[in-house]
Amino acid sequence: MTLLIRGGRVIDPAQGLDAVCDVLVRDGRIAEIGERIEAGDATVVDASNAVVAPGFIDMHVHLRDPGQTHKETIASGSAAAVAGGFTAVCAMPNTTPALDSPATLAEVARRAAAAGLARVYAIAAITKDRAGIELAPYHLLSDAGAVAFSDDGNTVENPRVLRQAALYASDLEQPFISHCEDAQLKGSAVMNEGVASARLGLEGSPDLAEEIVVARDLLIAAETKKPWHIAHLSTATGLDLVRWSRSRGVAVTCEVTPHHLLLHDDLFDDYRADGKVNPPLRDTNDSAALRAGVCDGSIDVFATDHAPHGIEEKAQLLGAAPVGFTGLEIALGAYAHALPDLPLDRFIACFSTNPARILHLPGGTLRIGAPADITIFGERSWRVDARTFHSKGKSTPFDGWTFARRALVTIVAGSIVYQNGELMARRAASA
Amino acid sequence: MRTVSARNLLDVDDVTRTELSALLDRAAAFKRDGATRSLLAGIPVLNLFFEASTRTATSFTLAEQRVGADIISFAPGTSSLGKGETIADTALTLHGIGVRVIVVRHPESGFARRLADAFEGHVINAGDGAHAHPTQALLDLMTLRDEFGGFDGLRVAIVGDIRHSRVARSNIVGMTMLGIDVTLVGPPTLLPAAMARAGVRVSRDLDAVLPEVDAVMMLRIQHERIDSSLLPALDDYTRNYQLNRSRLRALKAKSVILHPGPYNRGIELTDDALADPRSRYKAQVENGVFVRMAVLDHLVNGAAVPA
Repeated sequence: MTLLIRGGRVIDPAQGLDAVCDVLVRDGRIAEIGERIEAGDATVVDASNAVVAPGFIDMHVHLRDPGQTHKETIASGSAAAVAGGFTAVCAMPNTTPALDSPATLAEVARRAAAAGLARVYAIAAITKDRAGIELAPYHLLSDAGAVAFSDDGNTVENPRVLRQAALYASDLEQPFISHCEDAQLKGSAVMNEGVASARLGLEGSPDLAEEIVVARDLLIAAETKKPWHIAHLSTATGLDLVRWSRSRGVAVTCEVTPHHLLLHDDLFDDYRADGKVNPPLRDTNDSAALRAGVCDGSIDVFATDHAPHGIEEKAQLLGAAPVGFTGLEIALGAYAHALPDLPLDRFIACFSTNPARILHLPGGTLRIGAPADITIFGERSWRVDARTFHSKGKSTPFDGWTFARRALVTIVAGSIVYQNGELMARRAASA
Repeated sequence: MRTVSARNLLDVDDVTRTELSALLDRAAAFKRDGATRSLLAGIPVLNLFFEASTRTATSFTLAEQRVGADIISFAPGTSSLGKGETIADTALTLHGIGVRVIVVRHPESGFARRLADAFEGHVINAGDGAHAHPTQALLDLMTLRDEFGGFDGLRVAIVGDIRHSRVARSNIVGMTMLGIDVTLVGPPTLLPAAMARAGVRVSRDLDAVLPEVDAVMMLRIQHERIDSSLLPALDDYTRNYQLNRSRLRALKAKSVILHPGPYNRGIELTDDALADPRSRYKAQVENGVFVRMAVLDHLVNGAAVPA
């Protein structure tokens, strides 16, 4: 199959490219980039008034599959991904069973191939069953395709275990990813600790719960020389710690989420759980510091922490309701909303170039010969309606918001998988 | 002219300052003249207490009887909410059965709000977690008004486990609405610094605060919510925060002592404080019935506002 993407503004930070031109895709790979390419047999994609970028990669999603498929499946999550402009997602291991064995990783790969939409990579557990006690078999998991290691929402509590895990896995290129929350400091918190929690009589989790673990893990990264990635930073001091560690030469990268850039702990006056998430939504100083961190290059990656739940689960009382919400289908618009002045090459680097580099993934560039994973987006105003999500998770605090930018066409391995609001499964044979 | 404004009383600021004064006037009139049983005649009122309560539940029941309501009480342990029914469905069912007013207590902050958002009748919050207990604040305000004739220039200290106290939070809301100067006193583990705001100061020095205030409200330590990392031995707490004989001497002659109960004798206050002529515990519980009658009448029948 040959695709000719005609007349878009092609931006590829990996090769410093920013020009209005055509992109020719043949046999699942980028074949040619140039002005007025002619290819008689090609399917033409009109990209005028749109941006053609290397495929967006979300390195932090929860697909709930296996084990909690009433919340999401690999198929529904893949659909949500491509509808949101993502050509690849990295699934966190907090499934049932956890992604801690080669067999489970193989099953995830099989289900992703059957869905035939986005590429789905597995982030394997650091410890068996994510219990923080026994090390997972890193080299076997690497052979099975793991792109990183993380115990995700279960911060590895014991520093001895984490240090030894990092030492044992230090010969592998896959980074460790830390979800930084100290369980003791967090306690039974349902939101951020601050003026709002004090007024509402709700237990809050202090900034310190994140910062103390960021500091610890970066010290372990420095000592073990293991490449490290800090997930969903939520505090100004957490970001400062990343800067400090990086200034000392530690191989550390980090990500944010749209909600930590745009939302705050003032969302709880109605005691609904729509804004309940880990780490919690903080205050305006934190979100401003994080946005500044994106602009000055301290933050590498735009993730979503896509965490779907059933609508009736989120409607429970604040204490019982699960944490997190759907993110794949709002991220592109929400990040543009949070950072309207961010140059497009930085925007694309955070969505594509950087996650591909950090996780050593194919893609993340439009170089000739690279896999033809392409995201086409444009400035098109749209209103979020969670009921229309492809994700099974219909809960987002951004429901009803209006965003200025959205995904138009998503191409994976040279096949159009999303266009004009329609999903199209790619042929199993391609790339 | 009769108008209905607030539909629920989830916290004191569900009513305006004007309505608040009218509520206290109404409670005072009930105290003076008694009530007629026709005020809520035939109105089904449900007492829904998910958490044990002696004084509040009894006080509400008595208030409901005095205004003539049809009273329903049931054991929430056996309710559908425990069987996985959503709050919205429970609210719909209760309204369908005919319940028009729900008096609710629940251990989780925000429960009353979530119920009220789904219930078409009136919800009165009888205490939700650490959040609010508005009728307690109203009875405290009534007691202060009885004592001082008004609220102008009043200074009040609230002492103890502020962090877990819905009584403190509702009093802060009500007192700041009325311009009362509030000082919160306690150790930082039980008194978040973030509770300070306009009209509300935070202190850990009871001895410095006591001589300056017109009223001191002593809160109990909520042992059921406190672990050993929040407080050292009780002796250390009582050294700093107990209202005892020597501290009673520091309190002005015309000041009063309030306590929402239940008391933990020998902890937040000693027998001397309970026996002190400045204590107003009896007036507080008496007034509780009258403010609850006034709230029921206000929500169901509307405030009587002069034309």
